[in-house]
Amino acid sequence: MCKRNAAVCFLIIVFLLTVPSTYAIPAFSRQYGTSCATCHIDFPKLNDFGKAFKDSGFKFPKNDEDFIKIPPVMLGAPAQKEMFPKVIWPGTIPGMPQIGLRFNTFFQVYSRNRNTLVPPTADGGGGTFTPRTDFQPGLFSIFTAGNFGDGIAFWVDDDFSVGGANSNGGLGDGYLKFVNIGRLLKLPTDSLSLKVGQFEIDIPFSQARTWNLSGWDIYDEANYGAASALGVGGVNNAFAFSTPGEGVELSGGHNYGGYHYSLAILNQSTNPNGPPGAGPNVSPIVGTFSDSNFKDLYGRFQYRFNLEKDSTSRNDVQAAGPNGPRDHTYLQVGTFYFYGRSVQRFTPTGSTTVFTAREPFYRTGGDFSFNYRTFNLFGLYMYGHDRSQVFNGAQTGLMGAPSARFNGGFLEADYLALPWLMAIMRYDRVQSEADFLNGQAAASSGNYFQPASATRNRVTPGVQFLIHANIKASFEYQIRPQQTGTDASGNTQTVRTNQAIAGLEWVY
Amino acid sequence: MRRKVLAVLAAVMVLTLAANAGSISGKVSGMNGESVVYVDTIAGKTFPAPSEHPVMDQKGLLFQPHILVVQVGTTVDFLNSDKVAHNVFWPSLMQGGKKLPGKNLGTWPTGEKRPFKFEQAGVASLLCNVHPEMAGYIVVAPTPYFAKTDKSGEFKIENVPDGAYTVVAWHEGAKNASKAVTVAGDTKADFTVSK
Repeated sequence: MCKRNAAVCFLIIVFLLTVPSTYAIPAFSRQYGTSCATCHIDFPKLNDFGKAFKDSGFKFPKNDEDFIKIPPVMLGAPAQKEMFPKVIWPGTIPGMPQIGLRFNTFFQVYSRNRNTLVPPTADGGGGTFTPRTDFQPGLFSIFTAGNFGDGIAFWVDDDFSVGGANSNGGLGDGYLKFVNIGRLLKLPTDSLSLKVGQFEIDIPFSQARTWNLSGWDIYDEANYGAASALGVGGVNNAFAFSTPGEGVELSGGHNYGGYHYSLAILNQSTNPNGPPGAGPNVSPIVGTFSDSNFKDLYGRFQYRFNLEKDSTSRNDVQAAGPNGPRDHTYLQVGTFYFYGRSVQRFTPTGSTTVFTAREPFYRTGGDFSFNYRTFNLFGLYMYGHDRSQVFNGAQTGLMGAPSARFNGGFLEADYLALPWLMAIMRYDRVQSEADFLNGQAAASSGNYFQPASATRNRVTPGVQFLIHANIKASFEYQIRPQQTGTDASGNTQTVRTNQAIAGLEWVY
Repeated sequence: MRRKVLAVLAAVMVLTLAANAGSISGKVSGMNGESVVYVDTIAGKTFPAPSEHPVMDQKGLLFQPHILVVQVGTTVDFLNSDKVAHNVFWPSLMQGGKKLPGKNLGTWPTGEKRPFKFEQAGVASLLCNVHPEMAGYIVVAPTPYFAKTDKSGEFKIENVPDGAYTVVAWHEGAKNASKAVTVAGDTKADFTVSK
């Protein structure tokens, strides 16, 4: 016990000694000569100024040119605009490539009982062995972002490698955003922008840029309906909110106050990675990303009430505190709705006839975020519903089957105790009868997180330290649900397998 | 007639004073960039506070000027010319090796000024709590005899009465260098500063 206390004290002292003044140089830091802390609370979590910077198309909301330390390169003099359409409309490119790099690495510790229950996997195989401790390389990513002048912003991020395997990387977001195109229609400022490319849909709290070590479970929730007693069929929908989509998005408003909305039309692809169970989803042919003609629709609306009494402060990007500007005290509420259609094709036994099942699905829910000074409490609730079609008894056609449903969400409290120290408490919950019946775990959760009941939940306290503004050490302890099952000897066991994760991450 | 006599007397006095006022010039070396050189406290002498208000601006995410030197008792106007919110604070006022309490001036709208009177000599390291890379300095000299060097370290303090003084050289991030200087007309004094 004494040794353990000494070790904990040593770690705390090491952290305290390695926290000097903060400087960081990711992509925008270089261009503006400013610290990561200008836009981030605890990177990548954005503060109010960072939200305004993003809303503006990766520019300072006002007088951007006054702050750029490296002047952009002109692709044509501004006066050329008068000559249009006889010339190419002039633009700019950043004076230096806006490149940022990101790397993270992890160390994990599991409870001793992690292998007590070795439940079968969804395809009937044996469970896998989980070591007690494990060092893990995370991801190495490149990201580039900025703007080309005239309100055209760009973002591309790509993982060179994930989990130490360079073949597992891939494009995250890659898009152009035409900011404030509503001005062409004489609409109010910032009321209409257009994004084109591949991007994370406008979910209330970004999973792609989460500051937590583990993502929110509900965002990873796919919907695989329980196999039908009537034969082949059921829901086999790999779509999850954390999956980036390809398409276009219209958006408007601000994320730092007032309204914000987005409407997106996206590729239909419910079989992006080949879900477990080798379902009969239609696979997109090589060279296409969609697996059907149908396009998914996503809409989001939120309203943020800044609660400062002083109207100037309330409407500004940041609130004016007695000791300097700070994030607003605010209450934000929002709602979202996603509509898609999963497509599967079935062939009856001994027949060449192909039946196509088109199974509409939707995800809907609400969210809130409350911020007081450096305390942020936020949460989300989601309900998922997939209509199901299966063969009729004679396998001569398709018929409706019970829908596959799930619900859940999360509640999280972040407290920035010091500018470099954030404490986190989370509760995640997913309730899915189908997952329970299928023995389907949340993505990447391992066999210690198999659903032992329709409800799967966890509590996750954590703490994060900024060693510099661009280097972060994070800790997370995942308290998993209690599970009852049989061990290798066939004895009934009730265990809870928890997991501790430490991570180091840096961007530059 | 009386008026003429007074005018002549005044002119003679000014010329006499000018004849007794020298200067201190030289170079601060050892570190690159601007330094501040000033005559330290003169026992038994006080100086009236200047009436003008020099401005310390926040512009382009920078304190401008980076170093401002003022006489004790001066009111400095802090201005925010940026279209982003800033604040100004200094954790302490360094007086030699002594730390005097700092001050947080808070935040105020773009284009407005917030005055602050520096009643004590010392060096205030200016910071902004939303832009941690921003840094500026106000060197509050105890006498009106001070100068900021150019980038090569050259300086000249004008109108220093003849006499014996302690002269101090300050440089960002360095230890103060000081030496006794006897001013008799134009006097030379070089300093070397180091971390």
